[in-house]
Amino acid sequence: MKIAVPIKFVPDLVEELNIDSSGAALDTSWLRLIINEFDDHAIEQAILLKERGGAEVTIICAEGDGVDDILFNAAAKGADQLVKLMGSDAAMMNSHATARVLADFFKEIQPDLILTGVQAHNDLDGSVGALLAEYLGMPYVGYVAGVTAASGSVIARKEYPGGIIGEMEVKLPAVLGIQAAEQPPRYVAYSKINQVSKTVKIEERAISDLDSSGGATVGRMFKPEPAQRAEIIEGSPEEVADRMVGIFKELGVM
Amino acid sequence: MSYDTIKSIIVALALLVALGIFVRYAWQRLWVYLRRGQTSPKFSDWGERIKGLIVFVGAQWRLFRFRLPGIAHFFIFWGFLLLSLTILQAIAEGLMAFANPQFVLPVIGTWGPLAFVQDFFALFVVIAIGYGLYLRLIVNPERYKGSHRNQGVKVLTFILTIMLSLLVMNGLRINLNEDLLGRYRPISTLIGGLFVGLPEATQSIIEELCYWIHLGVVMLFLTELPQGKHFHIVTSIPNVLLRNLEPRGRLPVTKTSDGAAGVSKMEDFRWRTMLDLYTCTECGRCQDVCPAYNSSGLLSPKLLVMNLRRNLQERGAALSAKQTNGVLSKSLTGEIVGEEALWNCTTCYACDQECPLFIEHINPIVEMRRYLVLEGKMDKMLQDALANLGRYGNSLGQSDRMRAKWTQGLQPAVKDARREPVEYLWFVGDYASYSPTLTDVTRKTAEVFSKAGLNFGILFDAERNSGNDVRRAGEEGLFEMLMGKNMQALGKCKYETIVTTDPHTYNTLKNEYAWDGNRPRILHYTELLDQLVASGQLKFSKKLAAKVTYHDPCYLGRYNGVYDAPRRLLRAAGCEVVEMPRHGDRAFCCGAGGGRIWMEEKPGHARPAEIRIREAAALTGVQSFVVACPKDVTMFKDAVKTTGNESRLQVQDLIEFVQEAI
Repeated sequence: MKIAVPIKFVPDLVEELNIDSSGAALDTSWLRLIINEFDDHAIEQAILLKERGGAEVTIICAEGDGVDDILFNAAAKGADQLVKLMGSDAAMMNSHATARVLADFFKEIQPDLILTGVQAHNDLDGSVGALLAEYLGMPYVGYVAGVTAASGSVIARKEYPGGIIGEMEVKLPAVLGIQAAEQPPRYVAYSKINQVSKTVKIEERAISDLDSSGGATVGRMFKPEPAQRAEIIEGSPEEVADRMVGIFKELGVM
Repeated sequence: MSYDTIKSIIVALALLVALGIFVRYAWQRLWVYLRRGQTSPKFSDWGERIKGLIVFVGAQWRLFRFRLPGIAHFFIFWGFLLLSLTILQAIAEGLMAFANPQFVLPVIGTWGPLAFVQDFFALFVVIAIGYGLYLRLIVNPERYKGSHRNQGVKVLTFILTIMLSLLVMNGLRINLNEDLLGRYRPISTLIGGLFVGLPEATQSIIEELCYWIHLGVVMLFLTELPQGKHFHIVTSIPNVLLRNLEPRGRLPVTKTSDGAAGVSKMEDFRWRTMLDLYTCTECGRCQDVCPAYNSSGLLSPKLLVMNLRRNLQERGAALSAKQTNGVLSKSLTGEIVGEEALWNCTTCYACDQECPLFIEHINPIVEMRRYLVLEGKMDKMLQDALANLGRYGNSLGQSDRMRAKWTQGLQPAVKDARREPVEYLWFVGDYASYSPTLTDVTRKTAEVFSKAGLNFGILFDAERNSGNDVRRAGEEGLFEMLMGKNMQALGKCKYETIVTTDPHTYNTLKNEYAWDGNRPRILHYTELLDQLVASGQLKFSKKLAAKVTYHDPCYLGRYNGVYDAPRRLLRAAGCEVVEMPRHGDRAFCCGAGGGRIWMEEKPGHARPAEIRIREAAALTGVQSFVVACPKDVTMFKDAVKTTGNESRLQVQDLIEFVQEAI
């Protein structure tokens, strides 16, 4: 089975986020990027599938700071191919553009199963997985928390509110949005990553033109602003009740 | 054939058989099995090594840390050496009986003063053995739990029999006027006196019987010797001679190949470590002082060594027999030594320090942890901490840009050592930089440094965790990365001395960083302040009238021998220092070291820090529990709450007293 795991980097929330002078985007000069947590789970799920029944795992990521380290980290876990998408705007792609670029690539390499993180905290125009499935004409199941390989299909496990667990068979090829792998992403020792970085090659692939259409346009980005209307009412219960009645009358709801 | 000829033949045959068994076992264990181990680094510094033999084997120095058992062993050891000569005489006498039944070896059998000393030592050994049997059979202390008690008792009985038969034999020979040195043996004479009433022929028979018992048990002992803990009689001399002479705080580097590291099977250990395993006497001193054993009970350094030794034997035999499964398929980390046991070590060094024969426990534990880390088999919290350390350079998962946030608003402002030369480069450390409960103490340290007129600076966001405990958790690659970044940052600064807040940082900077012969002066802040008080640069204006107890951090005390400076400082500030029963090099670990602070504590049993707080709370009139390690503040503040001693004991960093007394 050929498994492809497209991953992406998102702003690390350990750092304070600032908005740039345009007022519609994050200030990238202070930004530190980290792998999207759900994508990390998608990698883990792919490695688990490989360990259980054999698979060829390809990890794909757009170029950027720290991307090589994460790709080598995945290789140290057991990923077979590492692909880096090159292009000046690669890191700034929205979900639509990303999905289109990936779709072109996947039409070429023909994976049986595509695992993506089900979401990322900076997705503004939907998750990549669902869009990708649409462009490739494949079935999509999101919020998956466990995958088992069957012949010509996979069984995807989903957890529903109230402790209900659903299992569904998905015909391959398919795209799954991973919410959680069956086990937390494993730790890889530094010595292993160093070793891998000396032997494993990252394949670089140029992106031609980006098509971002269908995405959202940010009008204004801002930090939470304290509401102006809040009023703290102090005093005895009677006084508070009197004041509230007064307010309700002022507002015309009483 | 005469009786004397038969005697010679039997003695020769017995000697041949016993020696044969001894040599076979010793050869198999010390040559065949040990050769499968990895090579050890070259041994040098022979003067120091031979000095160690005199002090630690000859004078049995470390044994006296457990006083009475130590004294008993001292006499058994020297008795064994002195009386092995009488055994030689007995063997020679038997071998030569066919030619001369009264054969005596030159000097050994003819020198009076030697006979005199031997006679007394035989008695001392009997008394010491009596104490040994009492200890094993009646007292049966906790430290013997898990040791081979029957084997111990058996060998004690052997030695007792050898001694008593010797004394009776000598006594009867004196009675029968067969002993040329009779007047040099007062004890034997006394014992002989018990038999004086018997007819000479009977005495002669008993004397001969004693000879056979004496020699027979010696032969039995010889066959027993290489098979169990008494093999230490053979291995302890090379073990002490070839002991690790590196600083205590320097872990050996791991053998790496293709990214693999650590020890996953017995043959991955160095042969030197294997020799350690054979040297264990199962005395349990290590277990007695182990904070893990005394809290969770999940790790006993003694049982760890015993289990490894058993595996060494079993695997050794299986490999020699060319087996392919069975014991060979048992995993070292998991089945032979539990993962939980390995992760419970706080690397406090109490066990290594206590072992009379210099057996190392921490090194093999770290080697096995290295393998577990490589396999990703670890506690979730530890995994997160390591991931944070790799990403942000601190275990708390905070932005490295916030490392020096605690300096905000300080007057005078803390200098940036990267921008201007300073005399003292202060390596602050993770906990002191980030932990909200500790930054107050860190600010006070800065204040004290300023008031003492020090020209000091810090690395701000270029500082990374020093990696001391990363290394001890088994993540060697991450340690190297952290060390590399710190060395790079330090390399760009101009300074004369590094001063640290954290004893763990102090240890690795001092003992493990790759300074290439250009190591700067490295001081713990207590050492620095102590020197400043001595030179008069730091003066106290107040005398605090506090009654305090001081807890020695493992990495400051046991690892680096800094015991006096913190106490002198406290006294200079006017404090009365009351010692806990376990202090100085016997201090009981807080439980945070070796990466334990990043791991989950299993509920349901006392934690080391709680045991320690109870020890301090039992001291009358002590209000403060003084520490000199940021991890201690965290651990003990918590333990004071959980043991309900909040109103009785206050956990304070030493710097708080200095700051108050200035």
